[in-house]
Amino acid sequence: MTRYEHNGMEPHGQQEWQEQPQQEACGGGCPGPMDLFTSTIDRRGFLRVGTGGLLSLLFAQWLDPRAACAQNGRSGAARSCILLWMNGGPSHLETFDPKPGTSTGGPTRVVRTRVPGIEISEYVAPLADCTDEMAIIRGMTSREGNHQRAQYLLHTGYAPTGSVTHPSLGAWVSRELGDPQADLPAFVSISGPSIGAAFLGVQHGPFVVNNPAQPPQNIAYPRNVNKERFQIRQDALSLLEAQFAAQTGDPKVQGRRDVYSKAIRLMHSPRLRAFDLTEEPTAVKQAYGDNNFGRGCLMARRLVEAGVKFVEVVLDGWDTHQDNFNRVARLGGIFAPAMAALIRDLKERNLLDSTLILWMGEFGRTPRINGSEGRDHYPQAWSAVLAGGGIRRGIVYGQTDETGARVVHQPVTVPDFFATVATLLGMDPDKTVMTPIGRPIAITEKGRPIRELIA
Amino acid sequence: MIRVQRAFAVVLCLVGSGGMARAGETGLTPAGIDRMIRAEWKKQKITPAPPVDDARFLRRVTLDITGNLPAVETVRRFLADRSPDKRARAIETLLASPGYVKRWVAYWDDVLMGRAMRPMPTVDRVAFRQWLTEKFQKNTPYNQFVYELLTATGQNSTGGSLARAAGMEMPAMLAPFAAQETGDPAKVNGAVNWFLKYAQTPADLSGAVSRIFLGVQIQCAQCHDHKTEKWTREDFRRFTACFIRTRPVPVDLNRDQPRGIRRFELRDIERPFLRDRPRFGGGEYASATPAALDGTEFLQSPNRRRALAAWITAPENPYFAQAIVNRMWAHFMGRGFVDPIDDFRPSNPVVMPELLQKLSEDFVAHGYDLKRLIRLICNTQTYQLSAAPSRNDPENLYWSRYRLKPMGPEMILDALITATGMEEGLQRVAGTGAEAVKAQILRQLIFLFDVDEEFEQKDFEGTIPQALLLLNGSLVNNGASLLPGNALAQVLALPGDDAAKIEELYLRTLSRKPTAAELKHWQAFLNAPRTVVRTDSTPGAGRRLQRGLGGPVRRMGGGPDPFARVLARARLPEPEPKQQAFEDLFWALLNSSEFIFNH
Repeated sequence: MTRYEHNGMEPHGQQEWQEQPQQEACGGGCPGPMDLFTSTIDRRGFLRVGTGGLLSLLFAQWLDPRAACAQNGRSGAARSCILLWMNGGPSHLETFDPKPGTSTGGPTRVVRTRVPGIEISEYVAPLADCTDEMAIIRGMTSREGNHQRAQYLLHTGYAPTGSVTHPSLGAWVSRELGDPQADLPAFVSISGPSIGAAFLGVQHGPFVVNNPAQPPQNIAYPRNVNKERFQIRQDALSLLEAQFAAQTGDPKVQGRRDVYSKAIRLMHSPRLRAFDLTEEPTAVKQAYGDNNFGRGCLMARRLVEAGVKFVEVVLDGWDTHQDNFNRVARLGGIFAPAMAALIRDLKERNLLDSTLILWMGEFGRTPRINGSEGRDHYPQAWSAVLAGGGIRRGIVYGQTDETGARVVHQPVTVPDFFATVATLLGMDPDKTVMTPIGRPIAITEKGRPIRELIA
Repeated sequence: MIRVQRAFAVVLCLVGSGGMARAGETGLTPAGIDRMIRAEWKKQKITPAPPVDDARFLRRVTLDITGNLPAVETVRRFLADRSPDKRARAIETLLASPGYVKRWVAYWDDVLMGRAMRPMPTVDRVAFRQWLTEKFQKNTPYNQFVYELLTATGQNSTGGSLARAAGMEMPAMLAPFAAQETGDPAKVNGAVNWFLKYAQTPADLSGAVSRIFLGVQIQCAQCHDHKTEKWTREDFRRFTACFIRTRPVPVDLNRDQPRGIRRFELRDIERPFLRDRPRFGGGEYASATPAALDGTEFLQSPNRRRALAAWITAPENPYFAQAIVNRMWAHFMGRGFVDPIDDFRPSNPVVMPELLQKLSEDFVAHGYDLKRLIRLICNTQTYQLSAAPSRNDPENLYWSRYRLKPMGPEMILDALITATGMEEGLQRVAGTGAEAVKAQILRQLIFLFDVDEEFEQKDFEGTIPQALLLLNGSLVNNGASLLPGNALAQVLALPGDDAAKIEELYLRTLSRKPTAAELKHWQAFLNAPRTVVRTDSTPGAGRRLQRGLGGPVRRMGGGPDPFARVLARARLPEPEPKQQAFEDLFWALLNSSEFIFNH
């Protein structure tokens, strides 16, 4: 059901349940060879070939994806967002706010980066070349120290209340920036379930890709069905649907037909290849890393190119109550090269200015190192990173004290963080939508955008 | 107590009537309910939908009471039955069936634990369901059921595999590798698992108690006083304070089994009222005086949780009965007197408050008997209307037509398995692995079909992944294919012509016979010329990406195929055109809205 490893309850210190280690995708054998024939036909070629097809009507609305991207009157520079979600709560002290030589710093050393004066942890050294594209926030602060509650908070911008379930940021982005006619979903979550759309409606919920080494589930014809047979089935179904719609006169029946049409359009979309990593050169795949997170980041780039508005890529395993330093070194070795490759790749494709990258987890870790060489949950002070679209680049915003325990300068609350992100994406942070029980809920909880983070 | 009653009297104004039921005073009948509703229709100039026919009635009531489709034989017998009381008898049979218990255990497990709840190692959902099962097997009066749930103490689990946290028993073949159950079953009270879910979040617990059992969204006042509503933050704090003396105490002191369910004993700290120190969990609620919604304080009660539970379930409490009546009415009729079902407040209008009042009084007067309530509702002519359009009731506020209801994930899975005969097929080829295959499919379905139980979907449309699952997923596709022992194999083996086989497929899926026009259409469909499609068994099929129109259609499977093993063992005959036509008809029936909706 869920691949998040944490539960909401730790009555006794660090007792935690962890599921089996996340299975890495099968290395060889999975992705098939590139199809040289079809990959040489361009998109318009697909359309031409397709116009004779039985399903071509479904493509009537499909035009150039870039036309759909261009929206007028929006202030933010970013048109898409990639959230790199560090599930479990990454240690700020071993990533973007290291404290070498202090009582709490541990053995972690620092590296200098491209921006003079900005130093980051050795474990994330591959990002040293990219700090000129990033804004490092060292003053994140919140009050939720429980995984489940904090994950909710950092996905929705609201602490859980019980009275209303809030939509996640991805769902807001889908609603505000997504094109309802697009044949790819506006919100995709890779390697994790993310959080849904609540009262915004299921159509804005995440389209989940369980394993980036494999295409999405149920997208292909079954093995005993081909194009002709698929159409025979659709015709047979249409008859039953028309009859039932006439009998009941209920719009729900038509609503269901519309979703089926969308699903069929997705199945036959040329842009489905955004999910197919086999088209990527080996060197690119290696730069992102031969692991699920790296593949997820690569897929995120392909999806953004194809017009997807919000992609979440999950890296699990940050709940380092034990053996913090070795584990962060290993996790850094996964995410830092992938994130660096993503930033470079987007830049080379001129997509970095229109893509906002967020790096964060649900909280930081205690400055105090516990008896198991671990660090525990710490929401009071932690780090998050912005990169790309519309941000003021090459800066560090905020500061913690010498132990990394307290924010001493430029604190950033979660509502302010969400208001900043919303503004960067051209959304009004105060925009409200009514819940089913008639309560207006805004995109952010009275957050105010931090101007210093916006270019 | 006088004070309590005065407070209740004030609250009663909400539903627009005074006076509580005394035992035996009322004896509401289905006809009495219909009379009240018909009078309302007349006043509103509403023309209701025509009555539902027998086949559709049986399908509807079977889905509503047991969560599954009626068996083909049951449908045939019911249709052949000429006695006038056959609908009432069918309702009795369903209420007495094991399906009733299964359905309502699943219902309350959803409402209380949540379908999408992330598994927690401290919550043994299997034990919780066992507790629910006992309650529903005995038709425990609802007030007693709620009192026992709210006051539960004891151990959560006998321990064992973490799979139990997700509500699954470990398959027997894996049991030797799982954590062992070591606890004493006699000390276990499965009900405590609900509290354990909220052990760190007493505010969420009190919000859930108020919402689910009283229909009051008091937790809205958690953050701010409402300008128009009556509840204040202080009310919420005082209500929540009733729960903060309840603590889970660990039973397993050594941690030899780090991967198993963790055992706790739920206890109340019993002592006269003292101000608690703010601390873990209790936090800001510790300093509040525990109190019920009407202000009744439990200062002197040694056990505030029990005091609150007694207040909640007391016959004088008007919220309690109307909340469950509204919930049950909404389950069967598609919409409650109050909508959403758990949001009673002065600014949320009640439809036909006098009927809600009568039903609530009747429910209290007759021992909080849920089966009696279901019987009352299902025997009304209002429940037995068709889903065809009515007039002058555009939003169907007055139940002038039956409301289409989408099936939830468990229901869809059960309906698909029943209709396709997959159970038997699975047993035959997968043997003891059948349960594991089913559990895997259910996880996939729950993931795709989950709707938050706190939000009733107003306009069900479904999602793209759901549609893809039904279009291409192995459950429907293989279910509709000819496989040894499955439904289609049985249907095709029947004596008789195409018409008999079409009828059998209709009965299996839509629980009705095809019309003459449908028969004619499908007979032509079955005999139309067509090309056979062979199963693509190319190595790697299902791994490559489909390229859309024009390009060679390549397959993109993705995800585990729970039927792969089953199919690998089955020896499939060479397909024939007509057989594939039958498969396509069956497939269309399984994908149809008439199948997917309860109507």
